[in-house]
Amino acid sequence: MSEYIYDEKERFDGEKVKVLGPTYEEGKPDGSYDWKARLDTRELTVNYLRSALRYWYSKDWFGSERRKKDA
Amino acid sequence: MAEEKKRSIDKATEELLEKAEKEQISTAFFRADEIRPCPIGVEESCCKVCSMGPCRLPRSKKGEEKRRVGVCGATIETVVARNFARKIAAGTAAHSDHAREVVETFLKAALGQAQGFEIKDEVKLLEVALDFNIEIEGKEIKDIAVELGRKALDEFGKQHGELVYIGKAPLKRQELWRRLGVVPRGVDREVVEVMHRTHMGVDQDYTHIIEQATRCALADGWGGSMISTDLQDIMFGTPVPVVGKINLGVLKEDEVNVVVHGHEPFLPELLAAASRDPEIKKLAEKAGAKGINLAGMCCSANEVLMRHGIPCAGNFLQQELALVTGAVELMTVDVQCQMQGLQDVAACFHTKLVTTSDRAKIEGAVHMEFHPDSGLDMAKKILKMAIENYPNRRGSVYIPDQARDIVVGFSHETINYLLGGLFRASYRPLNDNIINGRIRGVAGVVGCNNVRTVHDSAHIAMIKELIKNDVLVLTTGCAAMACGKEGLLTPEAAREFAGDGLAEVCEAVGIPPVLHMGACVDNSRLLIAATAMVKEGGLGDDLSDLPVVGAAPEWMSEKALAIGQYFVASGVFTVFGTTWPTVGSEKVTRHLFEEFEEIYKGMWAYEEDPVKAAHLMISQIDKKRKALGLEKARERVLFDMAMRRELA
Ligand code: SF4
Ligand code: SF4
Repeated sequence: MSEYIYDEKERFDGEKVKVLGPTYEEGKPDGSYDWKARLDTRELTVNYLRSALRYWYSKDWFGSERRKKDA
Repeated sequence: MAEEKKRSIDKATEELLEKAEKEQISTAFFRADEIRPCPIGVEESCCKVCSMGPCRLPRSKKGEEKRRVGVCGATIETVVARNFARKIAAGTAAHSDHAREVVETFLKAALGQAQGFEIKDEVKLLEVALDFNIEIEGKEIKDIAVELGRKALDEFGKQHGELVYIGKAPLKRQELWRRLGVVPRGVDREVVEVMHRTHMGVDQDYTHIIEQATRCALADGWGGSMISTDLQDIMFGTPVPVVGKINLGVLKEDEVNVVVHGHEPFLPELLAAASRDPEIKKLAEKAGAKGINLAGMCCSANEVLMRHGIPCAGNFLQQELALVTGAVELMTVDVQCQMQGLQDVAACFHTKLVTTSDRAKIEGAVHMEFHPDSGLDMAKKILKMAIENYPNRRGSVYIPDQARDIVVGFSHETINYLLGGLFRASYRPLNDNIINGRIRGVAGVVGCNNVRTVHDSAHIAMIKELIKNDVLVLTTGCAAMACGKEGLLTPEAAREFAGDGLAEVCEAVGIPPVLHMGACVDNSRLLIAATAMVKEGGLGDDLSDLPVVGAAPEWMSEKALAIGQYFVASGVFTVFGTTWPTVGSEKVTRHLFEEFEEIYKGMWAYEEDPVKAAHLMISQIDKKRKALGLEKARERVLFDMAMRRELA
């Protein structure tokens, strides 16, 4: 995080927050950014579904809804 | 001298309207001056469902206590609710008929019978297969696709039970829908039941009519539309961030211009492929052009823009103006939002208007029906027709020098990925930034243009106000294109237009403050993104707990009403502008604007002034924040690029 320089600005509720100042990186991609291309085997894909899309496809992780039942 | 009427905030539109006026070409803008809305119709106080009518039931004048009923005794509440429900049914039918076409083509693609189509996104195929409870282990991709296609097709004609995608909603929302008895059974069944209940002499309790309209709208959002989005993603690829260009300036004076307009992405996808064919390129050069320039209009544009970066010529009210440039050799139209006026404009030039769907013809246009089994051949034929037409340009060609860079392609999967990397993809950073107050809330601003509002003005005024107040905006349809033309769809826009908190997050993640999520059917992506926020945790356990709101400030299509109704029934406060279709009945309006909050914990609102509407949305967001105990934002660790890199 040390490579970043921050400015202090005011948020909508009046609190001060740190924002990325001069070290802001422009995020415009050059072409199409196909992050899914890395998922090239069935195993990787299923892993991805169960972890990245755990909200629906994980067997043992169910976010706020699980927490609700535990409480 | 009377001040000249402002018609659009977009310079290209104004320039071409001037050209049209000079050349005496009729466009929707000019026709709107000649046709004022019927004062009774605009309040939806007219019933014409049987031939004893039409029965007109205008509101009582001030001080007058008159109870008006139709010949059959139908009250104004029944009449207004009927009209409202029928519009929702029509909107749902439009989306779901599109979806059915998608499923049928998908099945053909899976069976290898659709020329030029394939299963492009296997990851999404497996994802959707899990939704449909299809066993994926050890099975060939093709077999999974065929099984999915068949099961998806069943969703339309199913008579009992629940639509599969209802199971994707937050558990609490599912329970609420079940308790209220509004879970859709099959997509077609709900549309048919609205039509039956609103037939003369059937359902005559406005709350009961609206209840069925709600079930029908849910069949759109969590049914037809979601099926379209997902299966299109599988066939054509789930959108990922891509750079594109927008506005009429994307047309080219020295190239063969082909504009794809409508809603179904099949032919546009194949035209995109065929336009890269060396044989086609050579033919274009032979005709004296530098090449083929493919551009989109309306939601077909959104589809190919998101997937291929194909430039977008403009939104709904710019369709006739694209032809007014005199530079369009050929425009294809399939279904939805295409004006019949296009043919008259085309006839003023050399332009060929080609209707391509078996569902829609336009008198005077060339009809060439698209069938997936010979799709690629047809795409080539259409391009050849356009090339042959290039030397026929006549009259003055004028292309406004207006086009802007945009970054699009924010499917909910991509947002999830951008926030956390490939295997720790997560909505956590978004939720955290809402909790710590950098992001105040999220707004889905969607929908059409409407000639009764200055073109694009309401979208832009509302969205600028929202992002200035740290509200992250998700957008689709013609609203998304308005944002693109105004420069709101680039990461740099965060610095220029967003509040400090939102700008900080956008800069850290590298996203624009307004995320383009696709076409009108892709509003289902917004439902899924909001559901992911709930499931991630920390912001309540239902969609109605989230500081999330919706709006369509320039709506005009019946589809927009269906979308609004499924947002509201999913628990989202939703505000429309321009006009509101239940003003004829105070009771029906109160039901939707107030009582709905009790029932669905989401409600409708209407506000003509887009900035005031933005503040209504912000106050709803603040209300939800307060209920979550977030009115005093908590400080959390800043989630910046370096931290994200660690996660990737
Ligand atoms: S259904 Fe009743 S209110 Fe409607 S047109 Fe017929 S008679 Fe009139
Ligand atoms: S947003 Fe409205 S006008 Fe635009 S394509 Fe969709 S339905 Fe048509």
